[in-house]
Amino acid sequence: MSSDHIHPEPTTFLRKHVFSIDHKVIAKQFLWFGLIWLGIGGIMAMMLRWQLANPGVPVPLIGGLLFPRTGGVIDPATYNTLFTMHGTIMIFLGLTPAMIGALGNWCIPLMIGARDMIFPTLNMLSFWAMFLGGAVGFYSLFVPLGATEVGWTGYPTLSTTVGAVGQGETLWAIAVFLIGASSIMGGINYITTVIRLRCPGMTWMRMPLTVWGLFLTSILNVLFIPVIGSAMIILVLDRVFGTSFYVPASIMSGGTGGDPILYQHLFWIFGHPEVYILILPAWGVVCDLLSFFARKPAFGYRTSVGAMVVVTVLSALVYGHHMFTTGLSAMLGESFMLLTMIISVPAEILFFNWLHTLWKGSLRLTTPMLFAMGVIFVFGLGGLTGIYCATIGTDIFLHDTYFIVGHFHLTMAASALFGTFGAIYFWFPKMFGRMMSERLGKLHFWLSFFPLVLVFCIMFISGYAGMPRRYYDHTSAEYLRPLQHLNVATTVSAFLLGVAQFIFVFNFIKSRWWGKTAPQNPWDVGTVDWTIATPVPHYNFKTIPVVRCGPHEFSNPVLGPDTDWIYQTEELPG
Amino acid sequence: MRGISWQGLAVAFGALGLLTSLQTSEDENPHARAPRDVSLVVTEGAWLRAPGADWFAQRAKAEPGRFTHDATAAGGAGGWVDSHGEYSLSEIEGEWAYWQWASAERLTDGRQDFVQFCSSCHGLNGDGYGRSGQHLRPTPRSFQQNKFKFTKVTADLPSDEALLSVIKRGLAGTPMLPWDLSDVQLLDIIQYIKSLSPEESGWRDVYSQVGDAIEVTEDPWTDTKERAIVRGREIYHGAASCHLCHPGYVTNEELRVIRKDPEGTTYRENLTYPALKDSEYEVLGRATKVMPPDFTWHQMRAGTTTADLFQTIASGIKGTAMPQWKGAISDEDLWALAHYVENLIVSYKDQPAARSAFMGGLRVSGDNK
Amino acid sequence: MSMLSTSTPSFAFLRSRWLGCPLALMLTSTWALAQDKRWGPGEPASDYGYRFGELFWLITTLVSVAFALVVVLLIVPMLRDRARPGHRASFDHGKSLHDKRLTAVISIITFIVLDAWVLVIAMKDLREAYWAIPAAKDPQTYKVEVLAQQWAWSFRAAGVDGEFGTPDDILTTNELVVPKDRPVSFNLTSKDVIHSLFLPEMRMKKDLNPGAINLAWFKPVVEGEFSILCAELCGFAHYQMFGKLRVLEQGQFNEWEAEASQLASTAFDADDTEGHWAWDWQE
Repeated sequence: MSSDHIHPEPTTFLRKHVFSIDHKVIAKQFLWFGLIWLGIGGIMAMMLRWQLANPGVPVPLIGGLLFPRTGGVIDPATYNTLFTMHGTIMIFLGLTPAMIGALGNWCIPLMIGARDMIFPTLNMLSFWAMFLGGAVGFYSLFVPLGATEVGWTGYPTLSTTVGAVGQGETLWAIAVFLIGASSIMGGINYITTVIRLRCPGMTWMRMPLTVWGLFLTSILNVLFIPVIGSAMIILVLDRVFGTSFYVPASIMSGGTGGDPILYQHLFWIFGHPEVYILILPAWGVVCDLLSFFARKPAFGYRTSVGAMVVVTVLSALVYGHHMFTTGLSAMLGESFMLLTMIISVPAEILFFNWLHTLWKGSLRLTTPMLFAMGVIFVFGLGGLTGIYCATIGTDIFLHDTYFIVGHFHLTMAASALFGTFGAIYFWFPKMFGRMMSERLGKLHFWLSFFPLVLVFCIMFISGYAGMPRRYYDHTSAEYLRPLQHLNVATTVSAFLLGVAQFIFVFNFIKSRWWGKTAPQNPWDVGTVDWTIATPVPHYNFKTIPVVRCGPHEFSNPVLGPDTDWIYQTEELPG
Repeated sequence: MRGISWQGLAVAFGALGLLTSLQTSEDENPHARAPRDVSLVVTEGAWLRAPGADWFAQRAKAEPGRFTHDATAAGGAGGWVDSHGEYSLSEIEGEWAYWQWASAERLTDGRQDFVQFCSSCHGLNGDGYGRSGQHLRPTPRSFQQNKFKFTKVTADLPSDEALLSVIKRGLAGTPMLPWDLSDVQLLDIIQYIKSLSPEESGWRDVYSQVGDAIEVTEDPWTDTKERAIVRGREIYHGAASCHLCHPGYVTNEELRVIRKDPEGTTYRENLTYPALKDSEYEVLGRATKVMPPDFTWHQMRAGTTTADLFQTIASGIKGTAMPQWKGAISDEDLWALAHYVENLIVSYKDQPAARSAFMGGLRVSGDNK
Repeated sequence: MSMLSTSTPSFAFLRSRWLGCPLALMLTSTWALAQDKRWGPGEPASDYGYRFGELFWLITTLVSVAFALVVVLLIVPMLRDRARPGHRASFDHGKSLHDKRLTAVISIITFIVLDAWVLVIAMKDLREAYWAIPAAKDPQTYKVEVLAQQWAWSFRAAGVDGEFGTPDDILTTNELVVPKDRPVSFNLTSKDVIHSLFLPEMRMKKDLNPGAINLAWFKPVVEGEFSILCAELCGFAHYQMFGKLRVLEQGQFNEWEAEASQLASTAFDADDTEGHWAWDWQE
């Protein structure tokens, strides 16, 4: 137990802020790292949208600076680089650190009453492995031929030397591998910490659901990141050492040799759980936030946990629905379709529990609460449109169209992002000792919510109308030209969404240094992390707390009429 | 050393050795070679042949102040001087030739864009053996053979502008796309393509002629299109004898009348079909054959407007049986031919009913199939 | 770029200065709104095409009801159950037997209505249409071998003699001509990277993997010209990898086939072995 080795507080700047082994510092490092990359990925998205609405028109303001050779115009190669790096950055360098790295590091020890992660040095290493991965990815933008251009899914043979000759793709594979290594290190740490370092009385069924979400995510990380790691190693072998795991001979010479479909299997065995890796922490956060701000116990705590466990177990069994058009056998196709439909049941149970938590509550519509309710809305849209994608009859037409883009952005991007925003607004006071502006926060929510829904709902229309994704210019094919108005509308909404994020940036920076000083427990919430002082002292808990009740004992009649909440460390009266 | 198993290390190194031996051996088929260690940097600049004095006179108007004519240059013969230093003039055995300098940096940019966009078909070395070019007919150009089919110039080699317009327009009906790249990129690619000429040939040969696309003269038939078509039909089957390779669009009877041949003259079999022709263009060590298009059926590579057709017919198609017609027949007749061919395309291509009525009519009425 | 630069040359002056760009956005928006607009995939032109639309709108109906329910349950508490002085949330952990039964019943109902219903129809569609590849022996089946490459489609039909790999095979690039009312069966493969043959009006899509042959089919029931698109990222010019599908009425098609076969035989160069790709038809 970490209580056995309490190190003295570090004194040097390097030890305190850079190579710190304190989970709180690492959480903040992950947060800053993730937010910066989210910004970069967001700017890339804006450039993509610009090109789609105005094919061949120079990008305003930054175009001339970034693409001087073409006079600010995004050429097809740059366009492919942009969407590839947008996907990679948002998933691996944006949401993963901001959601799992920052939130996991911050919440797990504090919410289960531990003094630190169980492996603090591994924790530090996890951040620096990710940093290195980010650095390699960033460096790849500057090699000859530029960064990878083959989509974030990196399908061979396009991603082998057959389709991408430069070093960008190799560096991309190495970066993904390093980031994966970081996630595995983090995952092992989170799992062990949750299992071993829960304070006395913190039984499994008394853990906040945020911790449950992060715990299950970590299991998925540890199980499935190695799969993509191996896929990446094989890709590098094919690219650098001339093996042919993924490269077949042409059918005219017998079609022998490697198989590009092997990669797709490996990738999606990881890739589908990755969706849940990003969404499970958000689900956990939403479960908790809804209960906290509806001042009501999380409805069906046990079924929520059960649903999340079922999703975790099923997550890798449904991956085949990404490959319905690759020529899967009929039997496999039907099996994956059935399994995919089954996975909608636990998600539906979560919705039922969330809505039931809100029902007859006493809602405080704070910014975190708004974002949590926003997740219900956007994940509802994203999840329900998943039915179209799970059904082969409709997926054959919708596969690789903008319908898919809209669907997965709503589920894994928008929901995870809203969950992250909610979590940031919620834990910011504990993290930085200052309050974020509620007024700006609410403005940020409403100005993000409507454009976001608009962006991806228009994509559903485009996809239904047959607009394929990853096209540089939809006006070149006659069939797609009458859809250009949808592209323009999406772009306008996307720009509104992009502009709204500046409110967050402003609010975050201003509150970080000049915000109102936060009280110890501004939200009247009873989990263990709010029992300690702000700022959180070195080693969190002077004495390891003892938990005596669940995390959601809101409005319990036994508390009497004057208060509607109780700390987890307190005994319920009576 | 505690903790390290030497057997384990040996197995690891063995495995690594095995992996490197898994490398695909060099394939017999040059298309199928797995690209590895592709060089992306060109270290030396190159002097490449540039168009002649006429071209400079035109450019001097377009870019005032850049080019000046120096009467004393070229040993008193007179020549153009470029203030940017990009062009220069040389003499070999009394022949005066303009050269254009492509710097190593520019060729590197061009090389990288070439690898990025062009190499899948044209091959990483520009030899035409790209993986996507295998089994492809017509074959992708090899830039080592200095033959450019649809550049619409009468000289041996096209000017940068002529090549640029081919790349931007693409070749219809082939995988050569109209490329959405900026002129800067395309011109860099063009310099690189030119630098692929082997020593002492093509762009590196002092005796090569480089020309700009044929000027589109004024169409003398604008108000008399009907007459142009009639005239074009006569030239096509008469003076120009296009029907020797392309299909004849007349019956044997009509052909005899047009050519004023005596009764009983016979013409080639399958007159209403094109005839396969040899070309000078080599693939895998043997000359390829090309099919002259049937205008009512095949897609035209280099445009279907009268102006496009005028230029194509006038310049001929390099390396194939299609000669340069500019100078061989008058511009007026060239325009008439262009109108006739355009009329064939507009009236019958992709119109199954009209075409089968037309071609069927020719085939039943004569002894030509 | 192509559309903008060819059809609206008057915008060209905007490209030189960045100040013109916001203006360009506004102008292109207006331009886009003034064009012929489309909001859906258009009428299906294959015999199974209607199945996509029917299933799509069935799912849309079910999903809309479910989502409307979610939104109502989200908005009602927002309006009714706001925190206010004297108001206290009801205390309910939701762990009574009644709650568990409710959860189970609602789960089962939603699974049956949202998922199982759709699943049954989808399985029927797959077996009756999408995966019911027509028999190659059937003389009605029109067989086409497709060889994709960066960035073009090559189509090979057997020609009049019905045999692949003979001089009269009809070879076309980026253009496919098929007869109306006859099932068209594909053998699909690629030379270099993965492509996906997308016939939007026919509601057909199938990947072309290098080194393997995929099967797909459709039966055109409408004459005319349709689109061929690529639906799997295949490199820089992915967006330009389109072709034309022409469906001809049977009589016209027979004439077309005879003529194309004849022309193909004329163009056949017997010594050019590398130029002759074809494989044994796979089922």
